[in-house]
Parts: sequence; structure tokens; C-alpha cells
Amino acid sequence: MDRPALTRRSLVGAGLGAVAATGALAQAPSAPPRALATAPNSQAGLGPRLTLHAIDNFHGTPGAGMVCDLAIREGDAYRTLKTVTTAANGRPAEPLLVDEALKVGQYELLMHFEAYFAKAGVALPQPNFLSLVPVRFVIRDAGQRYHLPVLFTPWGYSYYRGS
Amino acid sequence: MAGITTHVLDADRGRPAPGVRIDFSVREGDAWRLVKSVVTNADGRTDAPILPAAEAKVGQYQLEFHIDAYLKTKPGVTEADIFVDNPVVRFAVFDAGQHYHVPMLCAPGTCATYRGS
Repeated sequence: MDRPALTRRSLVGAGLGAVAATGALAQAPSAPPRALATAPNSQAGLGPRLTLHAIDNFHGTPGAGMVCDLAIREGDAYRTLKTVTTAANGRPAEPLLVDEALKVGQYELLMHFEAYFAKAGVALPQPNFLSLVPVRFVIRDAGQRYHLPVLFTPWGYSYYRGS
Repeated sequence: MAGITTHVLDADRGRPAPGVRIDFSVREGDAWRLVKSVVTNADGRTDAPILPAAEAKVGQYQLEFHIDAYLKTKPGVTEADIFVDNPVVRFAVFDAGQHYHVPMLCAPGTCATYRGS
């Protein structure tokens, strides 16, 4: 008596599993980030610089191809210094600022979240909850090394002074 | 419930952050218009919603948290420790019928925000 029931249940289970898998596939990004194959990067001993690491906590991968505008505060406005795009490892090819380019001041890194997730094929409300995200921080000592990791999803983010 | 609320938490101490000034702005054309400035209460929240349900509409909004001034009042925090001074959160209300709770978790070297509930 138990056996057919168990069989039927396991068939149903397998069917549900298949549906779940199809659902997951349907929702998967059309251009998902690549598999994680990058190693951490120690910057110990390097000179003054500002470096960025974008980390996609939605896919669990580096945030590759994230467009970011770096600006410094001048009076009440921010003046754009440069626009960079993160590479496959979630870091721009070069430090954002290095040596004498690193100056004391208030900075804003404007990160293009909406474009990033659109490119990854993630279905989100329009407009997205987070679209152009300002990451603001202070450089107080131009002789130090500043690493800026940004952990993000379409619904939230955090950033901190890393190393 | 609809509208916008926030909650400022001092992640360094594991406590609500009272007395934090928050500037609330709305996007109008190419500019941000300051709607009001509020200060967090003893619970790290604002006494009234940032944006009451009756005034909720689709748009781009901004919260600027004056964490810098708050942190400087805390024993053991020096200015040199403060990497995240006044974080700004910009977000969209994409459906005026929904509620948007936007907390800010702060500490001298970090901050975090998310769509809460």
C-alpha cells in the first residue's frame, strides 16, 4: 500500500523539481556573470591609491562591466574626474586614483546599477529601486591606501573601507 | 501602508542612532529639491513617516544621512576614523501603493542600506 504512494509522491516530487528547474532557468539572467575564477588580491605594501571592487551579491560573482563615475566635491557640487568600467574580476583595470592623483577630499562614486542588471537580464521593476547609486566617502590622508569594496544587489548595497 | 520610512542604526554599537539629521529630497527635472530635514528619535526612527502614505507618488527620492556629526559625538571615534561621512541613498518609488522602508546601518568605516520592511 505504501509503495505505490511513495512512488507517486516521488514522481510528483520529480515533476515539481523539473518545474522548479525550468522556473529558475526562465528567471536566470540572459547574460549571467561568468563563473567565479578570480582570486583575492593583496595590496599590502603598495603606495597611496584608491581602488574599487564591485561584488555582485545577487549572482555571487564579481560585478563585471559596472560603469562608475568618480567625482570629487568642490563647493556644493561634484566634479567628475573619470568614468571607469569594472573588468571581469569586478575591479577596474587601473586604480581609480594613484600616488599624487589621490587627494584629500569628499568623493562620490556613481554606480550604474540599473544598466548593470539590465545587461545581466535581471527582470526588475521600472524604474528600478536602485538605478544610479552614489557611494560617498572621505579621503582624509593622501598618504594612505584606500580600498573600496561595494557589495550590491538590486535591492541594497553596502560599502566599507577595505584593505 | 504606503510611503517612505527609515531607521538609522549604529552598527558600531548595535544600537539605534538617535539625533541623526536626515535631508529628504525629491527629483524634479534635473535637480533634487529638498522637501524637509528631520532628526531621528531615541529609536533611530522619525516620529512621522518621511513621506506619508497620502503623499506617496512614483518618483525618484533621496535621503542624506548626516552620520558624520552623529559619530563625532561618540566616545572613541576620531575624525580620522570616519570613512563614510554623509551617505546618500537614492531610490525609486516605482509603485505608489507599496511601502518603502529604507534603513541605514552606519559605522565609521562602512554603511549599508536596502529595501526593508
